[in-house]
Amino acid sequence: MTARPDRGPGAGFAQPVPWLAPAVLVLAAFYAVPVLDVARLALSDATMVRPASGFSTEALRGVLSDPALPEVLGTTLIFVGVNVVALQVVGLVIALTIVRGEGRELPGMAAFRTLVLAAWVVPGIANGLIWRMLFDEAPYGTLNSLLGYAGLGPVAWLSDPQMALVSAVIANVWQGTAFSMIVFYAARRGIDPVLYEVAALDAAGPWRVFRSITLPLLRRAIAVNTVLVSVQTLNTFDSILALTGGGPGRATEVLSLFTFNTVFYNLDLAGGSVLAVLLFVLGLGMTLAVLAAGGRNPS
Amino acid sequence: MTGARWGDAATYALLGMLALFFAVPFAWLLSLALRTPAEVYRGAARFIPAEPTLANFGAILSDPAFLVYLWNGLKLSASGAALAVVLAIPAAYACSRFDFRGKMAVLLGLLAVQMISPLVLLVPLYRWMSALDLLNRDLSVIAVYGALGMPLAVWLLKVAFDAIPIELEEAASIDGASRVQTLARITLPLARSGIASAFILAMVMNWSQFLIPFILLERDADWPISVAIFNFAGSISASTTQLLAAACLIAVLPAVAVFVLLQRMIVSALISGAVKG
Repeated sequence: MTARPDRGPGAGFAQPVPWLAPAVLVLAAFYAVPVLDVARLALSDATMVRPASGFSTEALRGVLSDPALPEVLGTTLIFVGVNVVALQVVGLVIALTIVRGEGRELPGMAAFRTLVLAAWVVPGIANGLIWRMLFDEAPYGTLNSLLGYAGLGPVAWLSDPQMALVSAVIANVWQGTAFSMIVFYAARRGIDPVLYEVAALDAAGPWRVFRSITLPLLRRAIAVNTVLVSVQTLNTFDSILALTGGGPGRATEVLSLFTFNTVFYNLDLAGGSVLAVLLFVLGLGMTLAVLAAGGRNPS
Repeated sequence: MTGARWGDAATYALLGMLALFFAVPFAWLLSLALRTPAEVYRGAARFIPAEPTLANFGAILSDPAFLVYLWNGLKLSASGAALAVVLAIPAAYACSRFDFRGKMAVLLGLLAVQMISPLVLLVPLYRWMSALDLLNRDLSVIAVYGALGMPLAVWLLKVAFDAIPIELEEAASIDGASRVQTLARITLPLARSGIASAFILAMVMNWSQFLIPFILLERDADWPISVAIFNFAGSISASTTQLLAAACLIAVLPAVAVFVLLQRMIVSALISGAVKG
């Protein structure tokens, strides 16, 4: 920190250390050391009110033998898997449709994009609360009263275990689609328009253009986005907390919500740390996949 | 030409359906917030309330506690975002202007840490804050917001700095300005729209944060709006749904409004970041 900044932008000989120091210190203090500390707590007998007294694998064994864990992991797998497909399909459809509309200079494209982005910035807790009102199972609930007009329903949106998971996915798709939309929109705009002009000269149909030009050239964006969306979904729990609280039973209790409940409601610090390590390892695995997919691209 | 016309019709049909899906929750929230308790029980029949009322907003906004929650949310979000940007500026500048070994590792590391769930970090951070006697202080939340917002801010600011011609800085250095002076007088003013994008994006994310203030702030009077509406929802019954709707709308509106007004700037910053990254 005492090194004086050199004079002038003589690029190659600059001393980067003092410039990088704040960022690196933050990364160490708020990311690296906490992760190590969680791993240490996972191998201890600490609770929220009592510090660790020594090394113990009891918490590890306790969590692994918890009958709730397989159920939670199964729910997490379904929640993440379905969301990753749904978010990206909807995001891709929107991105490509908007690009087409812009190409034809159709009005309303920017307004539509704004609407999708507006859902994205809704706080997760508010998202859960809004959808809880929409899924209200009383006869005057939004969706059930609409279905009533069509002579359908009522649907047990939140009280049926399987339907509750579907409802949680719907709420997440509503909020999360914008991210995939932005990524795919940027990637699609990055494709050389000459390719599409050539395809038009060859009188290629829209499906053929999609299969032969758009999809192959978006493959890298899709690969990277798959991992980003997987990790984001894995870490999502505030909207579920507000929507269902994890219920009915454990039907919508994903791993991150289970971890939250274990640490901050059951005050089981060691057990929660084991789950946090599990959450971290799953996220890390996916992140290494994104680095392997995206690391070849120089920034 | 007719083929393209059909395509246009299909485009609008598709976007129309999707627009319905994305608009209905907002529209229903507004509808509920404008209803009297009696009309809440009429469901979709009173999607447009027969007797619209602003009483629900009045009830929420005349509650002094609610104004405190809004102010807490604004204060914590803005301070945390400012901290994130300040922490990010030196690293972003170094990554934009210097060549050094390990630059790629720093940039990828900044991307990678964003994959870590704040929940994982918060378990030890809660204990440390407790040991440092920082629990229930705004400072603890602001520090965590700053740390969580910094990585994305470095990326956005690096892209913003990259766009500034280096010749402008060289001219300043010939005049004898040091690097810090050049940064402060030339680069930062020219990068102000990038800095503003990074700040606003971080602020909107902080506004949405629930976990961090929920855990680090235990006193009701310290809570930001995101924690307060969760708590409020727990005390609500069917007969007060319209109040919850009004509270949610007030909590959502600032973030959505800022984002919609500034989306051209923010989205182009995100897209240029996505393309280069």
